[in-house]
Amino acid sequence: MTKTLEIDIRSAEGLKINRRLIKKKKTFAVVKIGEKSRSSDLDDSGGSNPTWNFKSEMPMKGSVQFISIEVFYRTRCGRDKKIGEARIPATDFMGRYSHEGHLNFLSYRLRDEYGDKCGIVNVSIVVKPHSTETTTMFMASSSSSSSETPSIDGYRGRIVTGLPVWRVTT
Amino acid sequence: MGNCLTGDVAGGKQAIGGVQQRPTSTTTNNAAQNDAVDFFFRSRGQYPLFSQIELSLSASNLIDRDITSKSDPMAVMYLRKKDGKLEEIGRTEVILNSLNPNWIEKITVSFQFETVQTLVFHVFDVDTRYHNVPVKTLKLKEQDYLGEATCVLSEVMTKPNRSMTLNLHGDFGAGVSRKLGTLSLQAEETVASKTVVEMNLRSVNLDNKDLFSKSDPFLRISRLVENSIVVPVCRTEVVDNNLNPIWKPVCLTMQQFGSKDTPLLIECLDFNTSGNHELIGRTEKSVAELERLCQQREAINFVYPSTSHGRNKVLKGQLIVDRFVEKIQYSFLDYISSGFELNFMVAVDFTASNGDPRTPSSLHYNDPSGRLNSYQKAIMEVGEVIQFYDSDRRFPAWGFGGRTADGHVSHAFNLNGASYGDEVVGVEGIMSAYSSALANVALAGPTLFSHVVDKAAHTASQSLSQNSPKYFVLLIITDGVLTDMAGTIDALVRASDLPLSVLIVGVGNTDFTQMEILDADKGRRLESSTGRVATRDIVQFVPMKEVHSGQVSVVQALLEELPGQFLSYVRCRNINPVGAPAI
Repeated sequence: MTKTLEIDIRSAEGLKINRRLIKKKKTFAVVKIGEKSRSSDLDDSGGSNPTWNFKSEMPMKGSVQFISIEVFYRTRCGRDKKIGEARIPATDFMGRYSHEGHLNFLSYRLRDEYGDKCGIVNVSIVVKPHSTETTTMFMASSSSSSSETPSIDGYRGRIVTGLPVWRVTT
Repeated sequence: MGNCLTGDVAGGKQAIGGVQQRPTSTTTNNAAQNDAVDFFFRSRGQYPLFSQIELSLSASNLIDRDITSKSDPMAVMYLRKKDGKLEEIGRTEVILNSLNPNWIEKITVSFQFETVQTLVFHVFDVDTRYHNVPVKTLKLKEQDYLGEATCVLSEVMTKPNRSMTLNLHGDFGAGVSRKLGTLSLQAEETVASKTVVEMNLRSVNLDNKDLFSKSDPFLRISRLVENSIVVPVCRTEVVDNNLNPIWKPVCLTMQQFGSKDTPLLIECLDFNTSGNHELIGRTEKSVAELERLCQQREAINFVYPSTSHGRNKVLKGQLIVDRFVEKIQYSFLDYISSGFELNFMVAVDFTASNGDPRTPSSLHYNDPSGRLNSYQKAIMEVGEVIQFYDSDRRFPAWGFGGRTADGHVSHAFNLNGASYGDEVVGVEGIMSAYSSALANVALAGPTLFSHVVDKAAHTASQSLSQNSPKYFVLLIITDGVLTDMAGTIDALVRASDLPLSVLIVGVGNTDFTQMEILDADKGRRLESSTGRVATRDIVQFVPMKEVHSGQVSVVQALLEELPGQFLSYVRCRNINPVGAPAI
């Protein structure tokens, strides 16, 4: 079953390269689910605490175990070098504590290729419930679930009204 | 040592003042105002006999402790208590390279008319390597001491301008008293207000003040108080090498800008690493005028004050307000009184480290004379407070670490011994459930919190799928040392994104330093073993022995962080009080 994830990569803190805080580097983040990935814009003023606020929607198959967030910096030559990566297990936003439509604020430790700690990344994730209309981003999930029309428990639809039909036998 | 010439400039270029919007940040520098505590006392007819005062600090002629540049001073304010010890109230930010700093961060203190409040100020020179670190986490012993000053708060309040200048003095061990400079205080009464204004500011056509590159402009917004005293309110971040800078949004509370018609002084300065920021231009506008500028899409020209002709030179540089939003920031009481429910849950420690209940030295001693043991005292005092805030007075109550009737050690058994439900009614309910559990449950071990935290998290997450807004508070009453720190941290991190707070009450005399780690107050966020970091600080620790020695009241200690934790959950999800118009 494929679900749609609304991911907002908000910011990162304490980004380090070789255990030293980075200064004056342009950084961006990439979210990867399976083979698909989306990258954010460059943040050139935050240094080791960049803010991206990069919102994107990506489909996620039910079999996916984790999604990964990678943080890169762009060198002056134009090459992209990786600072670190974090893996978000799917159970953290789809599981016992969060149901569909709930806005999850999550933070993860980034680790570089050697396994050293190199910062923290803050993301927020909403698993979109299956519906035809798209909810506007980041209205409170509690207010979006209080729908206009009353819905029957777990049914997520409008009330079905039926008309009794008599069979008139002639 | 590459930074010995200029210091850590990046730290000095960040925005100061304004309102922080991170979900994990709680209130800073506010030792006085606590909504929850005030409400509790007012409901019993005890009205607070104090007013909130905000102190702005500045200093001049500080001594230079850095070799190649000037000092980077920061001031810390303490209250001298009855036993002579100093209790820290707040800190300002660090200003780079300045011997005459004018700090922006204000420190709030409650002015109590009937007591003598002795304030002690220490000024430190912050070392370069600490510049990028949150000010709260700086260890003062590692900084260079620049001097101290003492005064009595009532003295400041009775002066005509409510301001005072003190001479700094200090003991450097040389036996010679040097001139250490002066510290000035300006006191103002705070007005708690809910209105917050957020603006996106930018400038065009600024003058170039740097020789080989372009200016590095930033804005400094100050408020003009009576008698033309200028109080700096906030500072934007520095945009390098740009004559048409766009700054990040600035968020000001009404407390900071006074009223919508109070004139604000907006100065545009060029950042210099030497600390002497050059003025590019300034303008005086009130918040209402800035709103009008935004709506009519007009720009205002900066002026440069010129002394010779008596007329200010109008510059080409302009200030533009791209966006102006007025929001209402609701307080904790607004949410509670609108119908947000607070639900409390209690967990009591039944581990063997408390001592055999039959011996008088045990924390669980069942005294035949009827005297309350440590746990019962804690439950009574704490229960009074939580009973007040919990609307239906039904609390789930659990015990952990005890061996129940079926022979297994359980880490989350129902205190009332029932198999159908874990709720008890009122504080009396908790007390009777506790006494009966003491008779039926054998003390065992180890001390594990993770089970009760998981149970509380489960309850909190279940309520999310319903529509009624609820916030949960888990009270853990324990005697001490945690066996499974890693497991507890994992459980807390998993629960950090839920509407839940965990208050740990420590009884007995053991060393509770472990708990300080859980209570992430020093700025280190909890990290679980799976790599996930806690979204916010949901733990607060209260040692009962501090309460009983009279240093702090139960109410104050318990409810200290609760409004902050509650608001951090609610604000970052844009949840408004029930029935309030969504903004």
